[in-house]
Amino acid sequence: MDINEIVVISGKGGTGKTTLVASLVPFLENPVIADCDVDAPDLNILFGETIRESKDFVGLKRAVINEDLCTKCGLCHQKCKFNAISEDIKVSFSKCEGCSVCEYICPTGAIKMKDCVVGQVFDSETEYGPMVHARLIPGEETSGKLVSEVRKTAKALAEKTGRETIIIDGSPGIACNVIASITGVKKTVIVIEPTFSGLHDLEKVHRLVQNFSVDIMIVINKCDLSEDGLNAIENYCKEQDLEIALKIPFNKDIVKSVSERKIPSLENKEFFDGIGFAKFVEWIKKTD
Amino acid sequence: MIIGICAKETGLNSPVADRFGRAEYYVLFDTETKESRTIENTAKNSASGAGGRAVRLLDENGVNVALAPELGPKAMDAIKAFEISAYSYGESKTVKEALENYEAGKLKEFKTNSTESHHGLRRV
Amino acid sequence: MKIAVLSGKGGTGKTTVATNMAFNLKGAVLVDADVEEPNSHIFIKPRVTGEKSVYKNFPLVDMDRCNLCGDCGRFCKYNAILPAKNKVLVFKEICHDCGGCEIVCKRNAISYEKREIGKIHSGKGLGDIEFIYGDLNVGEVSGVKIISELREMVSDNEVVIIDSPPGTSCASVEAVEGVDYAVVVSEPTPFGVSDMKMVVEMLENMKIPFGVVVNKAGLGNDEIYDYCSGKNIEILENIPFSEEIAKLYAVGEMMCLENSKYSHYFENIIDKISKTVK
Repeated sequence: MDINEIVVISGKGGTGKTTLVASLVPFLENPVIADCDVDAPDLNILFGETIRESKDFVGLKRAVINEDLCTKCGLCHQKCKFNAISEDIKVSFSKCEGCSVCEYICPTGAIKMKDCVVGQVFDSETEYGPMVHARLIPGEETSGKLVSEVRKTAKALAEKTGRETIIIDGSPGIACNVIASITGVKKTVIVIEPTFSGLHDLEKVHRLVQNFSVDIMIVINKCDLSEDGLNAIENYCKEQDLEIALKIPFNKDIVKSVSERKIPSLENKEFFDGIGFAKFVEWIKKTD
Repeated sequence: MIIGICAKETGLNSPVADRFGRAEYYVLFDTETKESRTIENTAKNSASGAGGRAVRLLDENGVNVALAPELGPKAMDAIKAFEISAYSYGESKTVKEALENYEAGKLKEFKTNSTESHHGLRRV
Repeated sequence: MKIAVLSGKGGTGKTTVATNMAFNLKGAVLVDADVEEPNSHIFIKPRVTGEKSVYKNFPLVDMDRCNLCGDCGRFCKYNAILPAKNKVLVFKEICHDCGGCEIVCKRNAISYEKREIGKIHSGKGLGDIEFIYGDLNVGEVSGVKIISELREMVSDNEVVIIDSPPGTSCASVEAVEGVDYAVVVSEPTPFGVSDMKMVVEMLENMKIPFGVVVNKAGLGNDEIYDYCSGKNIEILENIPFSEEIAKLYAVGEMMCLENSKYSHYFENIIDKISKTVK
């Protein structure tokens, strides 16, 4: 079954990614929603959640020291490249990257690498379809692996329930979590603001996405914020042959809708009709 | 000769997997004895480098030919370095079908990685 | 004294607050540790006088010594090194540079080579601000090493303001490690509050004192104030939602440089912080 996977990313945070994803959902046929912003999942705020299942997510293994066997020889402290073991032989969980060099060199076998639960994946039911989201314990790494887990769970759900669309709320930035959000998708939507900062971030995230052969569409949110900013973005898009699918003017009513936990495209339907949202939805839904 | 096929479930009737390095299982078919067995893909939960690790797993199990949906760059490097031939199973839906298509000479060999890093992506 | 400026959600005004705080704090050093998407330089407009590369190592195998025993491949937790039939494959981008392969190799066949993962730029900018920022190369999976090197570049004697990555990822933790105070910038919307809670949890775990700046105040609702008062979290300042401020941001202008009427917000923040930290 060929599943239409669409990801919405932004490079820079706070451009309106989640609001856009939420606005798209009611117009998609039988979607599975995947919230891949595992550091700060927000879609559940708008869709509510009836969590059906949650499973622990194990990230990297971490070093655990058996005090009874430890002779405080200090070899592990010396050899750890991540400064994760202190002079008094205490492991900093946040610094440990699970390489197991310490386990290997410990002369008394006092160190063992143990699985660490660093987050959870939730499978919930919303009004529009199943939603998968996850939470990574603050400060943990392996968000890329957790994103992959969310994607995998969403795909399995789609196949099980015969749904053909997965809409993915991606993470901000350009690191492993974003890369994991983009892989294997058919379409990428990049949401940006018409600011010089936004342009700078667009350049970076665009370079990242270019390595992947996906259809890319640009959405400019708060497009009336700055004419200079807008011109800068439009020029870049023109140079790079990037299509601007949607320009959304700033509208306080949208903020109000979100504050009231309502989906903007339904609550402010007239506004969305006016900006050509229907055409954008058609592009999202199209499979060829 | 042993052929390894990426699979979602166990056995010859299993649907084929849509990933190589993170397939759930590999079904191994011995062309001489005509017997098959399924092994779990221990590489699938790797934080990174699943493709390369999966190839090593296949090599450890004596696989000479791999049938896969796609091969990312690491998997491709590993396939070459371990001297395993890899073929794309194309439209095959099940392990059995993929094997039949391979034996009928219908499958195309991967000469270079079919996708860029991270699955399913072709360079524009 | 080191002050981190962070946010749970992106786009709440971290950079706005960090740059304008630095502008109002004579002699402060501004560090942009949001190495995936650095923005402060757009506002600070530094004359870059220093640039250095940040490197990560990866293993090189001497095939004259290597006997393809496979020990390094079995050891590596990241599958970055893979001995095959006639050679050893190395996948540089996923190497964590732990040094393990060299340690387990019984033939002394492994040494290390470096590759660039990003750059650090330094210089002086508008308002005479000392400025350092890191920039992660596109395609790299983690900027933590760059952030770590940025932190090493500032001394304990200076007043440092660190514009941190948004969220609570490993990059954010690296940026705020060891700071004396954290300014959490949020906006009064449900997403803002939700994401802020995660940052608060992280700061509480790290035992870093913090206060909140509500940016774009007047937009959204009062949930954030209820949350802060419920948890006894100090609100350092409310910066009102204003089209004028938004437009200045859009074109890369520091609001205090453009109009000193905005300075009092940041002077107030600085004042409250110095009362808490001292």
